Amino acid sequence: MSAAASSRGGGGLEELTLGHGLRLEDLVDRDALQEVCKSFFALFGIPVRIYAQDGALLADAVQDQAVCQYVQSLREGRAACGATVSAVKSADPGAALEATHPCFTGAVYRIIGIDYDGRRLGRVIVGPFLPADLKEMPRSLLAVDPAIDPVKAKELLPKMPRVRPETVTRIGRHLQSVLDLILFSGHRALLTSQMHLASVKESYRELQEQNSKLSESYERLKELDRLKSNFLATVSHELRTPLTSILGYSEMLAEGIGGELQGEQLEFVQTIREKGEQLLALIKSLLDQSKLESGTMSFKMANVALGEVLDQVGSTLLPSAKKKGVLLEIAVAPRLPTIRGDAERLRQIFLNLAENAVKFTPTGGSVRLIAATDSSGSEPEDDVGYVLFASRPTSVIVRVEDAGIGIPEAERAKVFDAFYQVDGSSTREHGGTGLGLSIVKRLVEMHGGTITVDQNREQRTPVVDAQGRRMPGAVFTVRFPLS
Amino acid sequence: MQLDFAARELTIKLVYYGPALSGKTTNLQAMHKLTSEGSHGRLMTLETRDDRTLFFDLLPLAVKAEGDLSLRIKLFTVPGQVIHASTRRLVLQGADGVAFIADSQLAEAENNRVSFLDLRQNLKDNGLDLKKMPVVIQFNKRDLPGDTIRGDDEIADLARHGREPVYKAVATRGDGVIETFLGLVAMTWSRLDTDHNFSKKFNIRSDSFVASLARQLGITGDPQRLIDASVGTDPRAATRRMESSR
Repeated sequence: MSAAASSRGGGGLEELTLGHGLRLEDLVDRDALQEVCKSFFALFGIPVRIYAQDGALLADAVQDQAVCQYVQSLREGRAACGATVSAVKSADPGAALEATHPCFTGAVYRIIGIDYDGRRLGRVIVGPFLPADLKEMPRSLLAVDPAIDPVKAKELLPKMPRVRPETVTRIGRHLQSVLDLILFSGHRALLTSQMHLASVKESYRELQEQNSKLSESYERLKELDRLKSNFLATVSHELRTPLTSILGYSEMLAEGIGGELQGEQLEFVQTIREKGEQLLALIKSLLDQSKLESGTMSFKMANVALGEVLDQVGSTLLPSAKKKGVLLEIAVAPRLPTIRGDAERLRQIFLNLAENAVKFTPTGGSVRLIAATDSSGSEPEDDVGYVLFASRPTSVIVRVEDAGIGIPEAERAKVFDAFYQVDGSSTREHGGTGLGLSIVKRLVEMHGGTITVDQNREQRTPVVDAQGRRMPGAVFTVRFPLS
Repeated sequence: MQLDFAARELTIKLVYYGPALSGKTTNLQAMHKLTSEGSHGRLMTLETRDDRTLFFDLLPLAVKAEGDLSLRIKLFTVPGQVIHASTRRLVLQGADGVAFIADSQLAEAENNRVSFLDLRQNLKDNGLDLKKMPVVIQFNKRDLPGDTIRGDDEIADLARHGREPVYKAVATRGDGVIETFLGLVAMTWSRLDTDHNFSKKFNIRSDSFVASLARQLGITGDPQRLIDASVGTDPRAATRRMESSR
């Protein structure tokens, strides 16, 4: 119950909702209360004061009555007046909602309790006023001070407002219901704001909790990733050592160092070598991948002409493209600026992309490698100094276009993830580890560049597959910024 | 529960819980209508523009109970929408009893379940155990067409297997609202009395406590008969079971 709740820091809210510790001054606006008093006074001409339960005056609208001023000008009169006022102030109507307190002048004060939700929060004091049925000046007024002038007192007393007690009761009821409404609205506003605050705090606490859980699992994942990279590096290294021996010995066998080989024997040995080379390439890409992930790959940076790189890629791939019946085109824009990079790694990037392109393009299709400059992203037209910067190339773009099965839009972001392949069956048909594009992306990024993939909308000779469907083709766009 | 021993004043907090639009606020509105003018305060509603409860509704009841104990009962509703989870947890703080207002519609069965699990979790987060909490369940909207709501026989059958009293209601007409309230009050009082020995401290006859409260609230009809309108486990047995699991 209460103990459990307050241990979560909500004790204040619970107090509030259960209605304990409500104070008049917390529920109402003092200025608004002052205005209620003023308009009350303007309407009835009777002084009114509102006190909190602890006796503090919250608002009033008071005009000293002439007779009161006169009495207060006399020494003993002033003392008697003070005593009456403090008695009125501390008078409590008790369980009844109102009480009447007399003054020696014959006037009375009406004390009206302010209750909210069954609790006394304060009181309203209305008066002094003369009861309508007061016939003559009471003796107590003349007895209050020996210096009092009966003629003057008699002249001044009737200037005080004269009201019928039942009228005061009705006015009191009205005042109570007005105040009750104000208190209810105030209470609601107070609860709303407190509740709002508490809700926000609670939501914040929840978020904090979830955040710390998330960052914990993030740290754990990072650690797992590191372990995986270590594992890859170790395994690749350990696999490479015996493989080098296998390749070396099968090469020696093929060259006849261990004795002349006959027909099929030679063929078998060459198959062993071929598959061994493939395995070595695979292990190398695993090593590359783990080096890139751990950030230990070294780069020999220089100014590189991409045209030359693409030409080398072209001549490497030409034989296999020809064999497959795929047209390989290379188009490099004249005066293409050089970029900063590692020529060997750049060759690796484009060889991988172009190899893929050839692999996925069916016979009769074409693969194009296009390099050009781009000036998008330079100064906007209305910027200061546009005339100086316009058409200045900001990057070099290389497009690798194919006429293959394409990559569905939803898969395009994922093709660069390590070990990801769009369709598991394509591995069996086309081979590959699913590591190539992941390595390519990292290598491009190491050069400060970006790589994206899209549908090849500029195919000049679209190819159709066995079912007569047009192959959408894919285009990889690599962009290297120029400094 | 808050007790001001000097003022002989006891404040009890009862929370109406349940899925969105199951009729929690309607229950409070009906309570406001069905109790006598002097025994309740204004119904306070903290609502958003679309008339859904934003934080809670609050209906204060106050009566002089037996043995000159001042009894204040604060009825709260929680916002049913899933997003107001933190508000529900806050409103549930310090609750002495819970009336779970379920929507009888078959289509709402899953929402009822989700909300009940949410209740259990939020009680747990407040350090309270549902098993030890006075709880009654109300199946509201019994006036909807028979083929869209859970049938009476089915509810009665399920209730027999459950551990808490189950009431059927049409809160918009006020049917079953008082029954639900009195059933919950009876269980809550019994639980508080066992824990704090109020009947001895305040010289209250425990067996007539609820009857006296009902009379003070201006509730007509035999209170015990109203309480016994539950199907399945009757409140007295439920209370015993709740206490034995403590």
